[in-house]
Amino acid sequence: MSKIHGFPGGKGNGSGDDVVIELPDLDELRRRFSGGDGGGGKLIRIGLIVGLVLAVIFTSAFTIEPEEVGVVMRFGEFQRYASPGLNLKIPLGVEEVIKVPVERQLKEEFGFRTEQAGVRTQYAGGSFDDEALMLTGDLNIANVEWVVQYRIVDPYKYLFRVRNVRETFRAMSEAVTREVVGDRTVNEVLTVGRAQVATLVEQQLQELADQYETGLKVEQVVLQNVNPPDEVKASFNDVNQAEQERSSKINQAQSQYNERIPRARGEAEQAISQAEGYGLERTNRAEGEANRFNALYGEYRQAPEVTRKRMYLETMAVVLPRAGGKIIVDEGMEGLVPMFNMDTRQPTARQGGVGSGAVAGGDG
Amino acid sequence: MRTSIILFITLALLVTLGSAVYELRESEQAILTQFGRPLDRPVIEPGLHFKVPFIQKVHVFDKRFLEWDGEANQLPTRDKRFIWVDTYARWRITDPLLFFQRLRDERGAQTRLDDILDGETRNAIANHDLLEVVRASNRTPLVDESLPETEASVLEPIEAGREAIRQEILDAAQARTDDLGIEILDVRLKRINYIESVRAEVYDRMISERKRIATRYRSEGDGEASRILGEMERDLKQIQSQAYRQAQEIRGAADAEATSIYASAYDQSADSRDFYQFLKTLETFEETVDRDTSLLLSTGGEFYRYLQDSGR
Repeated sequence: MSKIHGFPGGKGNGSGDDVVIELPDLDELRRRFSGGDGGGGKLIRIGLIVGLVLAVIFTSAFTIEPEEVGVVMRFGEFQRYASPGLNLKIPLGVEEVIKVPVERQLKEEFGFRTEQAGVRTQYAGGSFDDEALMLTGDLNIANVEWVVQYRIVDPYKYLFRVRNVRETFRAMSEAVTREVVGDRTVNEVLTVGRAQVATLVEQQLQELADQYETGLKVEQVVLQNVNPPDEVKASFNDVNQAEQERSSKINQAQSQYNERIPRARGEAEQAISQAEGYGLERTNRAEGEANRFNALYGEYRQAPEVTRKRMYLETMAVVLPRAGGKIIVDEGMEGLVPMFNMDTRQPTARQGGVGSGAVAGGDG
Repeated sequence: MRTSIILFITLALLVTLGSAVYELRESEQAILTQFGRPLDRPVIEPGLHFKVPFIQKVHVFDKRFLEWDGEANQLPTRDKRFIWVDTYARWRITDPLLFFQRLRDERGAQTRLDDILDGETRNAIANHDLLEVVRASNRTPLVDESLPETEASVLEPIEAGREAIRQEILDAAQARTDDLGIEILDVRLKRINYIESVRAEVYDRMISERKRIATRYRSEGDGEASRILGEMERDLKQIQSQAYRQAQEIRGAADAEATSIYASAYDQSADSRDFYQFLKTLETFEETVDRDTSLLLSTGGEFYRYLQDSGR
């Protein structure tokens, strides 16, 4: 059990790990003394005494590593704790030491195993579904993988109150986790309630560990993967996808709205402004034309007859030179119109252009 | 010869001593039997102990909490659902003497515990609905805000719950282990799972539930998009028609104003009306005639009349 350091004969296997007594050396001694025929019994006696002394030394001194505590028992009865460093005990099997790594953080995995740790025999080859699959409060199934980190805080209880602490602890952890998960909906376990599950498991597991007097302290419970079972995973993912689709569809519609409406507002304002422009133009022109007419009319009223004639003649002076063809007919002549070839020229000959009813009418 | 006698006596003494002394570890307790008949007083204190050599025999038992891990059993619940139930228990030997008499050793105890605990578990499970076995309390579940309201799963109310069932099993089992020198400290349901065929059904149900939610999300997306697009159409029409109306009103008002301006100018008197006609006619005439126009001038027309008058 005890580690022996600085053993003079430990040359062969320098590591010096967990060696109770370095037997090869004793054998060597015995061989040497029995083989030498000169010394005889005296040498044998010396050898035996030396061997006994060595055995006493090596069964009384032992080292406790920094993360350990030694539990010393005399004839199986608990005596005291040994702290890290070099310690002594009563030799030759009267006292024995069990070393408990109290400072080391220990870990149990559920629903999975890390590769370095290796797969334990009873799970070899199989999956850990049995461990991970559990019923939720709404009678669905969730796949929960978790880790419990713990420490041995009471070596006495750990050694002497419970047998197979590790197995017990695993069973406790499974029972507690299932109880907590069984009181929650599958949605809670998968999403919003995750942290709560871990906290509760930690708490209840500690209570149970105390009740069972395991001497363990639960440091942390970490939920690793909490998933729907593989068989339904796809449909859970589909829900997420559908959620994305929903928001993307809404966003698209919204962006279309944002694209069309502000433009339409602008266009509407444009149409209104155009109408206002039209209105301004219209009234201004009317105003202008009315004013012009009024001015003209004012003058016309001074001498209506002359002005009228003047305007008529002036207009004719502008119009007559511009016209392409002019035909002058006598007043008495009748039936002239049919003589024109109406096909070759467009009906530009406008009867009554000059001396027309309009002008004549104006006279009347 | 003498040395061999001494050697023999020493050896005999050693053997006797070895038989008279025994060591009890911290985690152990023991009883002594004398020719197979157990002595009344069990030995509980750890350390070195003495007994009558050769006549008395030591039987050592564990003093610690011991494990009992049940086989997973396929059990029906009251609502006729088959589930795998895996239990574990903690127990210890409280009366080594009784224990020795009734069960002899740990293997005997394990077998008896199998009978008792498996039986009581079966009874308890058969007396409760599945929900009672799974659930522990009537708590209100947390709600996932992102899920549609109607899909927030509910926890159906329960009457007893896992803890009560556990206690039921424990009480019943304890009553049956009273006279065995052992004490069951705790029984727990370690694992509860659907049997394979039911599991497939549950998966189907879960899948259809998720499908329902997914369909809902998709249709919500479509619905919301349509609503927005509809709103857009409406807003578009509103904006456009309002603008049209406003534009027409503005134009109409302007037209009316222009008309009234014209009227107030042209409609002052019969004279002004006449002058306006004349003026407009002249303007129109001037605008109408261009290069392609042929004029037919009658000598009787006014224009020539001026000529004739002047020529006279």
